[in-house]
Amino acid sequence: MIPDLAQEGKAQQQAWVPEAQAPVVMLNNVGKTYGRYQALGGISLALSGGVTGILGLNGAGKSTLFKLLMGKLQPTQGEVRLFGTNPWKNPAPYARVGYVPENEKMHDWMTAHEFVSTFARLHGLTRDEAKKEANRVLEFVGLSDVMHKKIGRYSKGMRQRAKIAHALVNDPDLIILDEPLQGCDPLARTTIMNVIRELGRMGRTVLLSSHILSEIERITEQIVILHQGRLLAIGNLHAIREQLDNIPHTIEIECKDAKSLAKDVLSLDMVHGLQFPSSSKLKVFTHHLGEFHKRLPKIIVDNEHDVMVINNPDDDLQSILGYLTGGFR
Amino acid sequence: MDKKRGETIWTSLDRKATAIAEFTMRQYRTRLSTWVVLGVGFLAISVVLLFYIDAMNTEIEAIDNDGDSLDWDGDGYVNGQEYKYGTDLNDAASHPGLLDPPIDPEPASMYINEDDYDWDYSDGSRLEVGIDDDGDCNNSSLPESLKDDNNDGTPCNIVLVYDSLSGSYFVYADPYVDEDPDEDRYGKEAQHRAFILGVGKLGFVFLLSIFVPLFLATGLIRDEMTSGTMQYMTAKPIARGEIFLYRMLGYLAIVWPYLLVVCSLLAIVSGFMGPGDQIFRFKDLGVWFSILIAALLATLVYGMLFAFLGVLWKYGIILALPIAAWELGMALLSMTVPESTFLRMSIVGWSMSIIDSGAYLVWPDMALFTQKGAWAGGTGDASFFFGGGNELPGYRALEWAQSDLGLGLGPYATTVLSVVVLFCQAVFFWFIGQLIFKSKEIV
Repeated sequence: MIPDLAQEGKAQQQAWVPEAQAPVVMLNNVGKTYGRYQALGGISLALSGGVTGILGLNGAGKSTLFKLLMGKLQPTQGEVRLFGTNPWKNPAPYARVGYVPENEKMHDWMTAHEFVSTFARLHGLTRDEAKKEANRVLEFVGLSDVMHKKIGRYSKGMRQRAKIAHALVNDPDLIILDEPLQGCDPLARTTIMNVIRELGRMGRTVLLSSHILSEIERITEQIVILHQGRLLAIGNLHAIREQLDNIPHTIEIECKDAKSLAKDVLSLDMVHGLQFPSSSKLKVFTHHLGEFHKRLPKIIVDNEHDVMVINNPDDDLQSILGYLTGGFR
Repeated sequence: MDKKRGETIWTSLDRKATAIAEFTMRQYRTRLSTWVVLGVGFLAISVVLLFYIDAMNTEIEAIDNDGDSLDWDGDGYVNGQEYKYGTDLNDAASHPGLLDPPIDPEPASMYINEDDYDWDYSDGSRLEVGIDDDGDCNNSSLPESLKDDNNDGTPCNIVLVYDSLSGSYFVYADPYVDEDPDEDRYGKEAQHRAFILGVGKLGFVFLLSIFVPLFLATGLIRDEMTSGTMQYMTAKPIARGEIFLYRMLGYLAIVWPYLLVVCSLLAIVSGFMGPGDQIFRFKDLGVWFSILIAALLATLVYGMLFAFLGVLWKYGIILALPIAAWELGMALLSMTVPESTFLRMSIVGWSMSIIDSGAYLVWPDMALFTQKGAWAGGTGDASFFFGGGNELPGYRALEWAQSDLGLGLGPYATTVLSVVVLFCQAVFFWFIGQLIFKSKEIV
């Protein structure tokens, strides 16, 4: 019962014990409605380990999903479980969770170090520990040289990284990042991506949302696609893409001599159409994207084609959503 | 080497508590609005203090309450002197100068404030007080029966009888006893007490304790929810009820030292400036202490209430305003009808009874003292006869600022009960506040 006024040394606290064997994140038929608007309708999902990208257009329900996980919203139906525990009105599981909200607003009057160490203390760390931890995570996200500057003077990428640092301070098992790359410059984007990949390698369960497929693609292949509050697809990004084989895919190849490449490409039986947007560009239409990608390198190498770029222009979220929902571009 | 200490759930709880309280304090310190609110409060109190200082430095004009400094017949001898020598007040051909040997006229000032109160306080319900300083009762030509007009067996004295129903004294006075009191002496003391009680009740408990929390506590939770920064705090393993409570601690860590500083400043200035022979009026510190306690508790309860209203509704300040108006009404009511039951449904009523208790303990003679101001040398009942006013200066202010203990209990019991009630109110508002905060969805 003695208050810890000095706040030195190391805290030994009785942590909340998660349910063994329970998946890190489990959603069972979870839905959320605001009045008559259905933000999320009956989603079931279980995730443990690895980096998972939650893809969806704006308003698809990504943030709602995260807020349900973080106990900020109460589900109108279904069950939400973090480590087997219901997070609504129960903050205990957050001891092992790090959350990076989408919200741009931060405590601009603090330095990043103060921000991170203050919130670290909410995990029950002492002042000393919190400072040490803050140094560690700020180093991890590459902010150690500016960590004693006010957040208000940070660029967007630095702010995002400060937010990520604050979420990592308790060394969480589950990290939820809501649009972590939004508004960042390319350099910050790369740093953040590296941080997320590193977290994945460390065996953490990472959930991140984005509406830009190429971003997610550079971090992970494991994706969940949300569309209008519904779970549209789940699994490996390319596997999902593969399943869409009966729908024509477009591959754009930039090379020195498009015409001679076209001749060789036509020999493949899965190719059913060609287009020449310019003399150095070739558009190939195929139903079997995976097979085509397997065979293409051999053709290029055997015939010594000088290929600069291979692009799948329709392999972005819009087109995948288009295919999945039955529409074509 | 790390110190070994017992790690219980409390030690980590107060780590979180200090983290959020410190955070809140620093957040408020960086906001201009905090300083504006505290500064305006300080200015308002300072203006009242300046009026007080001015009043203490101004001599209150002496009034001839019994009219004996006048010279009705214009013969150069004032009524008091003619009365003393038994000449006719209304006949210019009759004055002490015609006596043998002739008497020189005395200055009129000798007959102003010449018979001050000699009322010593004791807590008996019947007091015999009063000395005829100028001898115009003892040496007058009145028959003995008139000299003992109040029939207590002693001529030229005053009998005071305490009426516990009205809480005031009835004055039964023989004629010309203590009939020309010293206005300055009474007025300074009355103004001093009125200032302390008035600034304590309306300045601290009403103005500061309502408006400072109104601006600082209403947004304690709500501002964070509106701006979205509450997302960071609620994503940590800490219950929302704790967040509510610890943010409150941070707010109190700003407001309580502020109240302490302002209250001490006033206590020191009024202690030195106040009337009396002593250098510093140490006894008044007791009243200032009760004012401080009342203000600390009031800012706690109002803080909890307004923070709760902020959680309840985005525009919680709109809900807070009618409450502030109700509390103003209750503040004024407590100063006139301190026993009213309506006061039990307020915060300000309980806070004020703490101040009244403090005043009661430090100034037990308050009922007698206010009666002095009302009686004013007997002119209260017979002002048409004498030239003086109805009341002594300062009496009105004191009568307004001072009130009796309204709970029908002794001063200590009143204080204890009020403190307990205020604490319960604070806990109650915290409880429902965190209950609502807990079930709030943070979008």
